Amino acid sequence: MSVLLIGEYRENKFFESAYDLVGYAKKYNKTFEMFAVGNKGETPNIKEKLYLADSNKYNEYNPVVHKELITALVNKNNYNEIVFLHSSYGWDLAPRLAYDIGASLITGVIDIAGEEFIKPVMNGKLNAHIKPDKEKLVLTIQSGTFSYEPDRKETGEIVDYDLAVTKSPIEFISYEEAATLGVDLSKADIIVSVGRGIGKKENIKNAEELAKYLKGELGASRPIVDAGWLDYSRQVGLTGQTVSPKLYIACGISGSIQHLAGMKKSNYIIAINTDKDAPIAEIADILVVADANEVIKELTKLINQ
Amino acid sequence: MKILVSIKQVPDLESRFKLNEKGNWVVESDLAFRLNEYDEYAIEEAVRLKEKIGTDDVDITVLSIGPERVKEVIKKALAMGIDRGIYIKDNEAFSKDPFRIATIIHECVKDHGYDIIFTGMQSNDRSSCQVGVFLGELLGISTITTIIGFEYNNNVVTVKRELEGGKKMVLKCRLPLLLTCQLGLNTPRYPTLPNIMKAKKKEIKEYDVNDFDKITNNITITKLNYPEKKSKAEFLEGSVSDIAPKLVKIIKSKI
Amino acid sequence: MDFELTEDHKMLQGVVRDFAKNELSKYSKLNDQQHKIADEIIIRLKELGFFGVYLPEEYGGAGLDIMSYIIVIEELSKFCSATGVLISAHTSLCCDPIYQFGSEQQKSKYLSMLATGEKIGCILLTEPDAGSDVAAISTEYIVKDDYYLINGSKIFITNGGYKGIGILFATKDKALRHKGLSAFIVDLNSDSVEIIKNEDKMGIRGTFTTAFAINNLKVPKENLLGKEGDGFKIAMATLNGGRIGIAAQALGIAEGAFDKAKEYAKIRKQFGKSLSEFQAIQFKFADMATKIETAKLITYKAGWLKDNGKTNAMESAMCKLYASNTAMFVTNEALQIHGGYGYICDYEIERMFRDAKITEIYEGTSEIQKIVISNMLFKG
Repeated sequence: MSVLLIGEYRENKFFESAYDLVGYAKKYNKTFEMFAVGNKGETPNIKEKLYLADSNKYNEYNPVVHKELITALVNKNNYNEIVFLHSSYGWDLAPRLAYDIGASLITGVIDIAGEEFIKPVMNGKLNAHIKPDKEKLVLTIQSGTFSYEPDRKETGEIVDYDLAVTKSPIEFISYEEAATLGVDLSKADIIVSVGRGIGKKENIKNAEELAKYLKGELGASRPIVDAGWLDYSRQVGLTGQTVSPKLYIACGISGSIQHLAGMKKSNYIIAINTDKDAPIAEIADILVVADANEVIKELTKLINQ
Repeated sequence: MKILVSIKQVPDLESRFKLNEKGNWVVESDLAFRLNEYDEYAIEEAVRLKEKIGTDDVDITVLSIGPERVKEVIKKALAMGIDRGIYIKDNEAFSKDPFRIATIIHECVKDHGYDIIFTGMQSNDRSSCQVGVFLGELLGISTITTIIGFEYNNNVVTVKRELEGGKKMVLKCRLPLLLTCQLGLNTPRYPTLPNIMKAKKKEIKEYDVNDFDKITNNITITKLNYPEKKSKAEFLEGSVSDIAPKLVKIIKSKI
Repeated sequence: MDFELTEDHKMLQGVVRDFAKNELSKYSKLNDQQHKIADEIIIRLKELGFFGVYLPEEYGGAGLDIMSYIIVIEELSKFCSATGVLISAHTSLCCDPIYQFGSEQQKSKYLSMLATGEKIGCILLTEPDAGSDVAAISTEYIVKDDYYLINGSKIFITNGGYKGIGILFATKDKALRHKGLSAFIVDLNSDSVEIIKNEDKMGIRGTFTTAFAINNLKVPKENLLGKEGDGFKIAMATLNGGRIGIAAQALGIAEGAFDKAKEYAKIRKQFGKSLSEFQAIQFKFADMATKIETAKLITYKAGWLKDNGKTNAMESAMCKLYASNTAMFVTNEALQIHGGYGYICDYEIERMFRDAKITEIYEGTSEIQKIVISNMLFKG
């Protein structure tokens, strides 16, 4: 029995992160089919069957409409496992589908161990092994965990998927673009990024100075931006910018899954953190176990000489 | 207008976690607990709405499930400006899956006729992102997740829903509806001491979970373990004055 | 018997802790450097109701209990003990005597200004030649037809620099010693009250410690607190109540220093090991933790006794004595653990060390506390 992967489109393009779904299926040798609401001109590079609902007809993401489309397909083909990305699309839709089809739902999956699925809890300090108790299963998988590099020439069967749906009480008004005020971190070769461990706003200027001496850009993790200490355009991570500089210096950033997803492709990562057990140690090349502010000051002094 | 805010008390994530005997949850006795961060935004948004449309016309209830200690977060919510509380006593709440928790809340509130329900988009401890949406489905009301903007006007709500990469989606919906709140929706207030005092006089209705717990789990946590240290990082330790020159060398070799 | 805080107290503790950690901590160094508590912090303390923790709601206070008051001072002092004593001196030394001994008219007029922080309170007791020996006060009052005329000088007045409301102690005749003393509620915002200076001092540099000259200050008759001659009784009762506040401050300083040292001992490596792995260091932590726990138990007990309408004079003296001693011990050890880094101003531990000392001195020195305790033991 195939599993059903739920692909995602953004602005009429196949969402690259959704290839993680293929990575998941391949890793565990699951045959799969895919469903997406999208457009024919921009289909994903897979050889498996793709059920494609026309985004021109179904318009922008609407949970009620998309749920009906997927539920009908699941009921028709009787999939026992339906897999979403753990994204704003996936976590919104997965519980609705699980409710409709009476499935077990496990969100944020990073691995499988036998019959059980593994997801991080307590901010990654622990992993939970979870057993689904229902016959049907809906999953969301943590983005960035299962990577897959598609063969850009590959194509497969596309099945037009069309269905009469109810009118949703939720009305789409518009998109609002991220307020980027000219800082394009994705082009930076060097990024000095600050996180909660920096302590206070005044300490940011030291990191900024270090970035300047290194001819790099200043970045930040989400808590810093949420606190209003830096502009949103500096935010690195799932809800900010995805970066891949030659050198990434993470200062006082413990490394939430969301942050790591945005910077793990950096060529070389130096993390400065007082906590040896911080998740950022998993992807950093060097972990400096020390107070980030002290190290920044000392580095700036030396580099300036 | 009747509003419900559904909240959870979670362990302080800076704690060091030890596993319980069965290995399926953490030992709670030596942990510090606090209000789930996402729920704090939910409380704040509800109170702001009440302040905006007039305190006499809006009645806000806060609900939480768990052992006795969760009354602390109910009281915090009352001190922030919520009108009344519902406490569902359940010493085994940790072992119940998100769908079961949602059905318990649903059984408790289904006849209350709330116009808006606010809750956090996920909890800090399990990060499931499920209870809110399940509750909306059970109640058969519209649900919008991950909101970072909220406006109310004449029975219609306009929200901004956060997508990846900082993009937002603006949506409109009539009441009743359920909203799950994302970080950054607002800046939650600290309760003032006079309001902490006033909160003591506010009503908290207590129930036993067995009154509402009608189903079994859909998923079960069989065990927890500490993630394997996949740490590929080389550790650099010592005094800052020793570390810094080494670091400068490394930096220079990489750029 | 129950050693757990109630849910209400835990909730309050969490709220004050979050405020202190997230907002106040950013100003603790600045307050110390600038010799004043930043205006932004004073505004926040007013907004949050910290100036009237246990004063009744009818006077604009929060109406909480003494245990809540202890928690507030303790949590603030973990991050900024100058702010802790601002609240403590204001509440215990100015609001409290008005609340205990004031007429209804005095309460409704002055407590409502004080509870909201509109005016900041202080006590004008100490003089150059009258410290621990309160009866040696030489500031004089003369009874006139419809006012009292006061002349003299006062020193070491915590919060004096705000020129808010003060409880002033003066004598009718110095030869009468205790019996000549009376207490007055005075508005310090007067031309007859002159600030000689705000002292430069070792610790709690964010608080004002003010020397005043009082020249022909006219105090209306209705501002006499209690009766003429009640001054000594009022002073003793006030100092007794104030001890809990200072104990809470000392406890907070000790806890703040302990947390810093613990964090540091985990990170700092010498000879290839964390400091926390050396037994010599571990034993320091064992001693510090034990003293802190003891200080906390006795301070909380003194608060609990008061909240339950029981007498707590003995326990108040004990908790002040023990907690201030603990603050000195812990900040000293915590600084030692930091080594050379502890001695430089970039690390906050040196400030805590300086701040701790005053808790053994003001509102009754440790020696005075021992006199109080032993007097109660032997004179019943």
